[in-house]
Amino acid sequence: MLGACERPETPMTGAGFETLKALIVEDNAHMRSLLRALLNSVGIREIAEAGNGQSALALLRERKSDLVLSDLAMKPMDGLEFTRRVRNDEHSPNPFVPIIMITGHTEKYRVQAARDAGVTEFLAKPITAHNLFSRITEIVERTRAFVRCDNYFGPDRRRHQLDDYAGPWRRQDDFQQEVDVR
Amino acid sequence: MKDAPRQSCQIIAPDAYPQMLSRQNAARASETLRSAQTALKAQAAMEAQVPAMRTAILGYAEELENARGDMALVFEKAHEIRGFAETAGLVTTGRIADILCRYMDDMERIKKPVDAMIVALNVAAIARAARTEDGDVAVGEKVAAELAALVARRLADANQA
Repeated sequence: MLGACERPETPMTGAGFETLKALIVEDNAHMRSLLRALLNSVGIREIAEAGNGQSALALLRERKSDLVLSDLAMKPMDGLEFTRRVRNDEHSPNPFVPIIMITGHTEKYRVQAARDAGVTEFLAKPITAHNLFSRITEIVERTRAFVRCDNYFGPDRRRHQLDDYAGPWRRQDDFQQEVDVR
Repeated sequence: MKDAPRQSCQIIAPDAYPQMLSRQNAARASETLRSAQTALKAQAAMEAQVPAMRTAILGYAEELENARGDMALVFEKAHEIRGFAETAGLVTTGRIADILCRYMDDMERIKKPVDAMIVALNVAAIARAARTEDGDVAVGEKVAAELAALVARRLADANQA
């Protein structure tokens, strides 16, 4: 675990970012440094780092995190397993935390695996500030419902609601049973 | 159309679970994320990272060349390079690393052994591009295009075999 949060002197944006706590899960030190610098530039100052999913889970238990940026391929625990554990573990400190999966593995089956693990957004490397910020904007502006099924818990994987959709329906009570977990 | 088997499911609306930001802060956050000032700050932050990233890429390129025969290590290093070469301004280097990673990944998916010559050609091209890209963009781009075509042919052959 790399752990420690740093609070660099960055200007206040007045946008609430300065109160956020972020967690970067990435095995490459240069990529961690780049992501930290980009988060700093929007005013996020409290950033913890972990080198793999296992260390990240331990960090999540120790400190609150409002936003997680995670790599996919890491050892001993990769980003997919990390995401599944965050979403599904009985003792997960925040199963609803937004997780942005950042990876160079952009093959369709890997994107689908990330989605099915419960990631909130997927970001392909190479990283640009624009792409990272657009994913954070998506989280901020288009908050999604969470779905709990027999074999899935995570953000609703259906991004679009078609008014004239006539099925097939896969859920017994599609959008009928709403619960409050606050 | 026959419906798929139905399963019970619970929907938790956005208002029903804790959000990253309050609604009021979310609106301001959106403005911050889209502002020119933030873009400038981010660009400066990224540029400050470039020298360290370039040094790292040169190190990965050397490890890549020394990984001969160890295909897992070749993939690992090529993957690291494709991850941030373009961010470090080494566009062609990143492109060739991407060609190699996709080739190795596709061959693994169809459970065929990789062609050592294809791997060696890509590794040499990645290392050369990483060391010379700034002054030799045209050659690098031509090499990348040739390698992409070669890999595409080999993958098509492997898929048909």
